[in-house]
Amino acid sequence: MAKTNGAPSPVIVEIRDLSKSYTPGCEDCAILDRVSLDIHEGDFVILLGVSGSGKSTLLNLISGLDQPTSGAVNIDGTDITGLNEYQRTVFRRDRIGIVFQFFNLIPTLTVLENVTLPLELRGDSRKRAEQQARVLLERVGLADRANDFPDKLSGGEQQRIAIARALIHQPALVLADEPTGNLDEDTGSRVLTLLLELTRQSGRTLLMATHNPEIVPLADRVYRIQDGRLVPVVESPRSVHPENQ
Amino acid sequence: MITPILLRLTQRHIDRRLFQSLLFIIGIALGVAVGVAIDLANASSLRAFKLSVTSITGRTTHQIVGTSGVPSNIYRQIRIDLGLQTSAPVIESTVRGLSVNGRTLRLLGVDPLAEAPFRDYLPAGTWTIDPAQASALYSFIAEPNRVFIAQALADEFGLAPGDTLTLQTPTQSRVDVTIVGLIQPDDELSQQALSDLVLADIATAQEIAGQPGLLTRIDLILPDGYDTRRIEAILPPDLRLTTPSANSGALSQMIDAFALNLRALSLLALLVGVFLIYNTVTFSVVQRRSTIGILRALGTTRRQIFTMILAEAMTLGIVGTILGLGLGILLGRSIVGLVAQTINDLYFRVDVQSVAIEPGTMLRGVAIGLIASFVAAIIPSYEATRTPPVGVLRRSDVEQRTRQALPFVSAGAVVLILAGVVVLQIQTRSLTVSFTSLFLVLVGCALLTPLTLIAGMALVGPVTDRLFGVLGRMAPRAVARSLSRTAFAVAALTLAVSVIVGVSVMIRSFRVTVTNWLATTLGADVYISSPSEGAAGIEVIIDPALASRLADVEGVAQVATMHDLTVITPDYPDLPPANLIVPSMDISHGQRRFAWLDAPTGDYWQALESGVVMVSEPFAYRRHISRDRNTVTLLTDRGPETFTIGGVYYDYTTDQGAIMMAHAVYAQYFDDSSLTAIGLVLEPGVAPETIIEHVRDTIPGMEGLQIQSNRALRANVLKIFDRTFAITIALRLLAIIVAFIGILSALMALQLEHTRQYGIMRANGMTPRQLRVFTFIQTGLMGSTAGILAAPTGLALALILIKVINVRSFGWTITLNLTPQEFIQAFAVALAAALAGGIYPAWRLSRLAAVQALRSE
Repeated sequence: MAKTNGAPSPVIVEIRDLSKSYTPGCEDCAILDRVSLDIHEGDFVILLGVSGSGKSTLLNLISGLDQPTSGAVNIDGTDITGLNEYQRTVFRRDRIGIVFQFFNLIPTLTVLENVTLPLELRGDSRKRAEQQARVLLERVGLADRANDFPDKLSGGEQQRIAIARALIHQPALVLADEPTGNLDEDTGSRVLTLLLELTRQSGRTLLMATHNPEIVPLADRVYRIQDGRLVPVVESPRSVHPENQ
Repeated sequence: MITPILLRLTQRHIDRRLFQSLLFIIGIALGVAVGVAIDLANASSLRAFKLSVTSITGRTTHQIVGTSGVPSNIYRQIRIDLGLQTSAPVIESTVRGLSVNGRTLRLLGVDPLAEAPFRDYLPAGTWTIDPAQASALYSFIAEPNRVFIAQALADEFGLAPGDTLTLQTPTQSRVDVTIVGLIQPDDELSQQALSDLVLADIATAQEIAGQPGLLTRIDLILPDGYDTRRIEAILPPDLRLTTPSANSGALSQMIDAFALNLRALSLLALLVGVFLIYNTVTFSVVQRRSTIGILRALGTTRRQIFTMILAEAMTLGIVGTILGLGLGILLGRSIVGLVAQTINDLYFRVDVQSVAIEPGTMLRGVAIGLIASFVAAIIPSYEATRTPPVGVLRRSDVEQRTRQALPFVSAGAVVLILAGVVVLQIQTRSLTVSFTSLFLVLVGCALLTPLTLIAGMALVGPVTDRLFGVLGRMAPRAVARSLSRTAFAVAALTLAVSVIVGVSVMIRSFRVTVTNWLATTLGADVYISSPSEGAAGIEVIIDPALASRLADVEGVAQVATMHDLTVITPDYPDLPPANLIVPSMDISHGQRRFAWLDAPTGDYWQALESGVVMVSEPFAYRRHISRDRNTVTLLTDRGPETFTIGGVYYDYTTDQGAIMMAHAVYAQYFDDSSLTAIGLVLEPGVAPETIIEHVRDTIPGMEGLQIQSNRALRANVLKIFDRTFAITIALRLLAIIVAFIGILSALMALQLEHTRQYGIMRANGMTPRQLRVFTFIQTGLMGSTAGILAAPTGLALALILIKVINVRSFGWTITLNLTPQEFIQAFAVALAAALAGGIYPAWRLSRLAAVQALRSE
C-alpha cells in the first residue's frame, strides 16, 4: 500500500458488492458475486485468476465499459455505475488509461497519432498533444518510430505504444488487462518494467489482471478471483508461490 | 463534436478502401443520374414544345378559332368593322418536305403587313432596314408560292434563297415553292423552335393546306380591359374567342402523367441504390468494428462515432451526387431522343435538339443524392455507435440484435403493406398517392426478406446437404446466421427483380390488351391513311371521291371511311379540343367492347346512327363522364350542340381520348366532308397484297398516301407501342446493375466478418475450390430467394401499375396477362446477378492464406 508521510493514501477506487451475471435472473451464474475492494491512490494491485474467472469483467466494470448487475464502483469520488453511457465514456476518456492484451492500436493512425488520440478526442490541440506524445515516446524508447504505422512494429513495440497512449492524458487510474499475455517472456518483462516505471514515477494507480506470477512480488496488493469472489492472496506478495496460481 | 483526428481516420479509411468507396459512389451516382436524366429529358421535351408553341403564338393575347377553321371574311370584319389593328390571320398546317428527306415541316401562313406586333422573327420587322429582305418580302407578297424557311433548315440541306423546295400538301398534291428568304432568329432557342418552319403568305398557305377561304385562326392583341363581348357579338356560333395559353397548357398537362411515370421508375432505381449504399456503409462499419471498439474504449462518444460514419457517408454521397449530375446530363442527352420520340408518337410534335440544363433539375438531383445518402447511412451509423468497446466485444451481438428485431421488422412489413393497400383504396386521381402506396407495398415486401430468408434456408438445408454434402449444410446456415448482411442484399435484389417482373407483366398485359383490341376493332383488310406514325404526323385530307373509286375495285366488298378531326368542347375550356372520330360504318362488325353501353337494342352502331355519340375510356376518365353525367357539348359548324353519350368504349389510340360519331350524324352538323382514312373489306379469298398493288398502281389520288394490309398496320401500331416502353428497359437494366453491386458488397462484408472461420476451414483441410463452391452455394441461395420473393412482389407491383396507376394516369383498362415467362426470366436474372456478384469474393476467398486468416480477429 502506498503511503504518504506514514498515513495511508486516499482510496481512489471503491468497489461495493459488485455483481455481474450474463444470464439474467440466474444468481448462480454470476461471474462476479458481490465483490468489494478498495484501491488506494498510487497502489499497484494485481488480479490473479484462471481464464474465465472474471478478471477482465471486473476491469470492464471498473472502466465503465460494461455495467454491473448490481453494486457500485466509485472512482475518485464519482460513482460510475450511476453515470449514463455518455458520462461513463467521457469519464473513461478523461480519467482512465487502458492497456489491452492485444495492444489494440488503430492501424490507420501513425504511432504518434495513436498516442495523441485520447488528447485529441477530448479536444486538445493537435500541436500540444503531439508535444506531449513525443515526450512519452521518448520515454518508451520509440521516438524514432513516431511516423510509422503500427503494422511496422513488433509486438513489444506495439505494447509500449499502447502504454504511452494509456498514460498520455495523465489518468487517475491505469487498467492493464494481461498486458504481457501476448508477448514472449523477455519482451513481456521489459514492457512490464516500463509500465511499472512510468506509473510509479507519476504516482498513478495501476490495476493489472494477469496470469503471470512473476509480477506478483512487485505489487502492493494481490487478489485472486475465485468462484466470482475476490480473495486477498497475502498481505506480503513476495510469499505467493507460482503453484498458488 | 467530431475531432480532427476522427476526420483523419475517416479520410484514411476512404483512401485505403478505394474500391469500396467507389461502390458507394457508383450507387449514389447511378441513382442521381437516372433521376436527373429523366428530369432533363422530360423538361427539355416540354420546353421545346412550349417554345415551339410560344414562338408561333408570339404576343397574341386572344385567338378566334373554330372547328372547321375561320372564314377569311371574319378577319375583315375584325379589322375593319371593329377597327382592331392588332389582329393577324394565321394558317397552320403540316406538310412533308419531299426535297428535304421527307421531313415534316410546319407551314405557317401569315399576312406580313399585319405581323409586326405579333412575331419578331418574321421579316416584316426588318424589311425597312435590309434592302435584300425588303425585296424578298416584296416577292413574298406579290408572287405565288414564295416562302421563307428557317436558317437552320437551309443550313442542314444546303438551301439558299432562289432554290426550290418540293412540298407534299395535305391533299397529297406536290407543290414546288421558291425560297425567297431565310428566317434568322436572334437566339439559339428560337432558332431551334423555328427550325421546321415554312412561312408563306395567306393565299399560298391556303392553297397548300387545301383550305381556300379559310384561316386556322385569327390572332389578336387586345388592350387591357377590352370588352371581348364586342368580338363575340360578331362571331357566328361555330367560332369561339379563346386565349392561347389554355391550349398549350392543357396539352403539356397531358404528358405530366407520362413524365411522372418515368420519374417514379427512376425513383425505383434510386430505392435500389439506397439499399446498395446501406450495404456499403454497413460493410465499412463491419470492417472497422475493432477500430470503433478501440475508439469507444478510449473514450470516443457514441455521438462522435455516429458523426464520423455519417460524415464519411455524406462525403462520398457528395462525390457520388456530383458525379451523378454529370452522368445524368450525359444520360439525359442520350435518352432525350427516346422521350421526345414517345411524346411525338403519343402526344404532339416536338423537336428536341439539345438538353437544357435547368437549375431546378440539378438542385433536385443534389437533394435526391444527399437525402438518399443520409437515409441509407443513418442505420449503419447508428449500428456503429452500438459497437461495444473493445474488451466487451462479442461478434454475435449484431446478429443477435438482428434476430431480436426480426419480429418487429416482419410486423413492420405487414403494416407497410397494409398501409399501402389502404392508401390504394383512397378514391383519388392523384398519382402521387398511387405511387406512395406502390412504394409502401414494395418496401413492405422487401422487409419480409429476413423472415423469408430464415424460413427458406431452413427448408432448403436438407436439399443442399444432399446435393453438396457438408458445404451444402454450411452455406444455408451461413446465410441465415448473417441476416444483417444477407437480408439487405437479398432485399435490394428482390426489389430490382420485382421491378422487372412488375413492369414486364404490365407491358405484356398492355401489349396483349392492345393486340386484342386491334384484332377486334381493325376489321378491314386494307387501310389507306397518312404515311406518318403517331401523333406527330402530317395532316392528310383524302378526297371522298377516292372512296367511291375504291368501291369499284374488283375484290373490294365494302369501303369504310373515317374522318378524324379536333373539335372544341366548350364545357371543358381547360382541356385541349377533343378528337372526333367519324366512321362511316362499324368496321369492327359489332366486336367493339364497351366499359358500359346504353343502347336500347344492344347494338351500338344503331345507337350511333340514331344520334348519340360514344366516347373512349380516357375521354370519359378525363372528363368524369358516367351514366349519370352523359352529355358532351361540341362546337359544330352549326354552333354548340349537346350530344348524349351512349357508352364508353375501350380504345388505346390516344390517352387524350376520343368521341365517336356516326358519319350520318356528323354530316348534319359539320360541313367538312374530307376523309383521313379509308378501310377496305375484301371479298373472301382475295389477298390484301393483290388489292394493295392494284390500287397503288391504277387508282388516281393515291399519291402520298400509305396503303397497307391489316397485318402491317397492326405491326406499325405495336412498333410504336414497343418504342414507348423502350426507355423502361434501360431503367430495368440499371436496377439490376445496382442490385448486383449490392450482392457483391454484402458478400465482401460477410467474408470479412468470417475470415477467421474460413481460416479454420482451410486449416482443417478445405480446399480453395471447396471454398469457392461454398461461396457460390451461398450466393445461389440468396439469388434464388430474391428470385422467388420477387414473383409475388412483382405481381403486386404489376397489379398496382395496371389496375391503379395506368387507370389514374391514362384512364385505360388493361387486362392482366400472366405467363410463366416473366417469372422464369426474373428468377434467372436474380440468380445470375447473385452468382456474378459472388465471382470476385469467391476468387478472393480461394486465395486466402489460412495462417493469415486464423490470425484475423
